Amino acid sequence: MPDFQSYKLLSKTTLIYLLFTLTAFLVSAFFLTNEADEYINKELEGRFNHTEQKIRRAIQQKETERAKRYAEITVLNQKPADFSLITYSDTLITDSEITERDFFRKKTFYMEQDGSFYKVSILKSIGDFYRLRDDIFEALLPAFFVLVIVIVVFNYFLSGYFFKPFNLILNHMRAFKVGQKKVDHVETSTTEFIRMQNLFSKMVNTIDEDYNNLKEYTENMAHEIQTPLSIIRNKTENLLADEDLMAHHGHDVKTIFDETNYLSRLGQALNLFTKIENREFSNPQDIKTEAVIRKHLSAVNDTIQMKNIKVETELSATHTLFLDPSLLDILLKNLLRNAIQYASSDGPLTVATTADSFTISNYGDPLPFPEEKLFIRFQHNNNSKKSLGLGLAIVKKICDLNNLNLAYNYHEKQHIFTIRGNLMSSVVP
Amino acid sequence: MKILIVEDNRHLVQDMQEFLQENGFLIEKAGFLEEARQKINLYKYDLIILDLGLPDGNGLELIPEIKRNDPSAGIIILTAKDTVSEKVKGLEMGADDYITKPFHKAELNARINSTLRRGKFDGNSALEYGHIKINTSARQVLVNNTPLNLTKIEYDLLLYFMYNKNRMLTKESIVEHLWGDRIDESDSFNFIYNHIKNLRKKIQKLAPVNYIHSMYGIGYKFSDKEQD
Repeated sequence: MPDFQSYKLLSKTTLIYLLFTLTAFLVSAFFLTNEADEYINKELEGRFNHTEQKIRRAIQQKETERAKRYAEITVLNQKPADFSLITYSDTLITDSEITERDFFRKKTFYMEQDGSFYKVSILKSIGDFYRLRDDIFEALLPAFFVLVIVIVVFNYFLSGYFFKPFNLILNHMRAFKVGQKKVDHVETSTTEFIRMQNLFSKMVNTIDEDYNNLKEYTENMAHEIQTPLSIIRNKTENLLADEDLMAHHGHDVKTIFDETNYLSRLGQALNLFTKIENREFSNPQDIKTEAVIRKHLSAVNDTIQMKNIKVETELSATHTLFLDPSLLDILLKNLLRNAIQYASSDGPLTVATTADSFTISNYGDPLPFPEEKLFIRFQHNNNSKKSLGLGLAIVKKICDLNNLNLAYNYHEKQHIFTIRGNLMSSVVP
Repeated sequence: MKILIVEDNRHLVQDMQEFLQENGFLIEKAGFLEEARQKINLYKYDLIILDLGLPDGNGLELIPEIKRNDPSAGIIILTAKDTVSEKVKGLEMGADDYITKPFHKAELNARINSTLRRGKFDGNSALEYGHIKINTSARQVLVNNTPLNLTKIEYDLLLYFMYNKNRMLTKESIVEHLWGDRIDESDSFNFIYNHIKNLRKKIQKLAPVNYIHSMYGIGYKFSDKEQD
């Protein structure tokens, strides 16, 4: 897993979408207020012009007093330096009539009439215009928030619906096992999901093909390599029986014989490993272990006696493992062989089951290597060069593939292997 | 006794043939399923050694035909595929025994003998060599006509020796015969040594000859001739 946080695709797109919408809203708000400003200016200019004409007319007709009704008019003694300048300014003025502060726009210009100069300042109320402009802006914000809520809610409900095929495909992927021929088709009209599903099917086919090739190769190897080994071994046995030859080359022939035997056992064990890995033992069932364990114990009875080990059993009649019967045999055989091989006679070899656990333990010196290496292939005690070092790796593999928890402990001089199980409830995922 | 070996590997067939001929069997060979089918239909065999992975098919197909032609014919399946299901299928179809490649020839010999014994003599035949007599159905051993009390392992060991007399048996072959893969080899050679020591002692109490001879530390030979 990456160490940064992950977000759902839909949340991401929603967030981005909302950011874009917000921008769009802001832009349109800006545009609309601009439009409004333009409208206000145009409208005011019309009104200013209208009043200005009235004032000019009044002053032309020498009715300055009447003109003063419309504007503030100052008579100037001389022509101002900035005569042609027209200025506008917005001010906040308390209207004497309504005693309310409001925005006004003031237009100031100069005029000349019969040699007299006038400074005219016209005031027009623009408060209403400004309020209109603010209203436009304020109406946009709630609209945006309503949109946000609607989108989020819709996404929340729709994600379940839209992503249902996606999750189904994911489940199929999760459940996929090598060697499985077909993957169920998920009906969907979403292009991306169709593409994903097609790609997945294609991958499954490739994996299946590779798997079959590998399987075929392994099987052929198993068959083809065992026969030559068989021949080598038999021929060597012929040599072993030749007393003249043995007198001269006894050691060499013995070495060839030993190594051939080792190769042959190695090949068989690795084949078994591959078969387990390929799930060729695929007939799992609930097995009551008591009888099976007793059968295995009696099969090794004489080796136990020869090693002078005592065996203590405490078997639960209800202990059950969900496993292919052949795998249970392989599992028990290997665990017992391991326990017997390394058992010292300091104490008993114990096989115990409870309702939900299986334990096998033997006395012995601590491991000469780190515990983690115990279940690794070809890890074995140096003093037993002849053992393959595959037994416990096979046990581990079987447990892993069948959801069994295999644990190792060294406690009070005892090597303890515990298998806790899937019990009856084990549904293969 | 006539044996048909159905196996496609010529070296292996030749090796088995030589070995089994030395043991007094008449051998015929077939390298293909079809060839084997023809021979089964034409001749009578006491035992058929049947390889499963043949170039033109699975040897299992032959089992029903063999049984139809001669129900008393013994069948030993020979296979590299140590898959339990194949073996079980073969045994269910009527094979008497199976042996997995690679095998020790002595083991094959023992299996052949015990299969033939079960089939042909209804298990009542007695094995005899020197001072030793074994009644295989009663699992009874007589040395110089005196009953000999043996443990199960000692009995199996003696029987294995009797089937493969005058031939060196390697320790590996003996271990595999007695315990299969249930035992680690580093342990097993000591066990063999002890069992053989006991068996030898028990026989020598009743017979004047030492039958079990140690060979170069590699194995043992069962013979009434003194070794040098």
